[in-house]
Amino acid sequence: MVHGKDGMLCESAPANWAMSEDLSSALVALKRAEVVELVKLRAGRGEDPFAILEECRHGMGVVGERFQAGDYFLAELLLSAEIFKAAAAILDPYLAKGGSREPLGTVVLATMQGDIHDLGKNIVATLLRAHGFEVHDLGVDVSPYLLVEKVKQIRPDFVGISTLLTTTFGAMKEAVQLLVQAGLRNELTLVIGGGVTTPAVKDYVGADFQTTDATEGVTYCVRVAKDKRTRKATL
Amino acid sequence: MTSEERVCAAIRLEKPDRVPVVPTLLPEPAARLAGLSQAQVAANSQLAVEAIFKVFDEYGAWDNPYLGAYAPIELQAIRHYPMKMRIPGKDLADDSTFQLDEQEILKPEDYDTIAEIGIDKFYYEDYLWRITDLRRDELPGTFERVVGAVMSFANECALRGTRMFFGADSLHPFFALSLMRSMVPFTQDLYYNPAPVERALKRMTADLISSQIRTVKQTGVKRLLLVEERASGFFYPPAVFERFWLPYTRQIVEALWSEGIVTIFHLDQCWDKNIPYFTQLPRGSAVVELDSTTNIFAAKDALRGHLCLHGDVPAALLSIGTPEDVASYCKRLIDKVGRDGGFILGSGCSVPADVKRENFRSMIETGKGYELSRK
Repeated sequence: MVHGKDGMLCESAPANWAMSEDLSSALVALKRAEVVELVKLRAGRGEDPFAILEECRHGMGVVGERFQAGDYFLAELLLSAEIFKAAAAILDPYLAKGGSREPLGTVVLATMQGDIHDLGKNIVATLLRAHGFEVHDLGVDVSPYLLVEKVKQIRPDFVGISTLLTTTFGAMKEAVQLLVQAGLRNELTLVIGGGVTTPAVKDYVGADFQTTDATEGVTYCVRVAKDKRTRKATL
Repeated sequence: MTSEERVCAAIRLEKPDRVPVVPTLLPEPAARLAGLSQAQVAANSQLAVEAIFKVFDEYGAWDNPYLGAYAPIELQAIRHYPMKMRIPGKDLADDSTFQLDEQEILKPEDYDTIAEIGIDKFYYEDYLWRITDLRRDELPGTFERVVGAVMSFANECALRGTRMFFGADSLHPFFALSLMRSMVPFTQDLYYNPAPVERALKRMTADLISSQIRTVKQTGVKRLLLVEERASGFFYPPAVFERFWLPYTRQIVEALWSEGIVTIFHLDQCWDKNIPYFTQLPRGSAVVELDSTTNIFAAKDALRGHLCLHGDVPAALLSIGTPEDVASYCKRLIDKVGRDGGFILGSGCSVPADVKRENFRSMIETGKGYELSRK
């Protein structure tokens, strides 16, 4: 990681700085200004926007590995996610012109009724996008009925529910029961997360996976999606 | 031993007659247990005081009631939650708990204003009016209600032969800035433009020390609750913790301790990586209150004979567990963490608003009865 003389990260490049064009490394080093400038430069000169995005995704993958190893902390995950969002926003118009690519999987995310915390959910959304998922973020204070209606429309591979309050456990359980009634539960993988969740809450709600660690949740989704893709390919 | 003697003995790292029991029972779970709606306690702090003591009496009493019977709008007014809010009965259904609406309210240029004029002046002349529905002419009346609620709370404690767990409470300056600025922009400031943050932290620390020593002396309970939920290794690396949190914290604790005031840290999220730093604080000068995401058993090993621990029956356990599960967890805490003193049994963070009655009763009864039943 690059630090300034005061031990913290440098936002602006030093005067003698030469742009390395190593987008992935710049993202891993959390050099916000450098990443934004590089993405603008390379997209502007006509490079493949999907290749540029892939480099950013690679950087996010390295950040995730460092987080899992305990070398990076949530703060660095947050900062990298913000940089990735900025890069993706620059690339969006170029990507739109280039047609669509099949996502790794489709995810519906929500914070349930009775809770308006969204920090954890937003981090997960960005990390999922960085790993190639199509994310439908329903926001906060989402009723079980609305969640199920959206699942009926989108038919996602995953539903992710985030919570910071025990008072949402009932709504989570109700949403799962509605998914079962609608015959949708077995079509998707249900992941719950947030500070108050525990393995007992996973069982109570009827989820497939529980975590308090955003990267662990995303890693799980990547593994399940890749397994699904492999199974499809071998059929 | 009286309740107060028991709590003080634990804080002094002694072994009381039994582990003291201090659940963080705030108005939201108290409303549920007392049969009131969230809207009722959110609109009337006197009613919140009544609800807490109704539960205190109905569930057989515990050692120190946990001061915190404020209506949400009062929490904004006294700078306890410097954020926008959604309030039951007004913005939410009557049975919803109040919600904090985290937004980027504090702007980068405000750090230097805080450093220059102090947090109180900044808050009451400017910031509060960015977040609250209160009118300026309603503020004096709001303060009067807060003072009235605190006095009622203290009187109710005295009637029951006990005292409040702490005489005053404050957000740690680091946590306050994170809530005011919101988490992501605050983190960006720490990494990309730290100098103004440090200037604000320095001033807020000095302001906190002078104002809270005064308040604690007024209430006569020489314990201050200092709330921090975002500085731990769950969020930030040691370099950030050591630069932006630890020096200010030491300054606060040492200043309070020099006046005989104990700091009660309310620490949410996982502090496993940070617990060893607390050995740098004077022995017996603080209580470390954990929310069950920190490994309290490892914390005990690190802080044994140095600081008292408080916690940490998990909120999820109180919400969806069984009374047997709760009793079992409490016994484990008492046996492992409380065995040689320096421990207060409590809830991890606050008792959840959807606590099961039988689980709450199990926590109180196990805490009060388990050790005595073995004597």
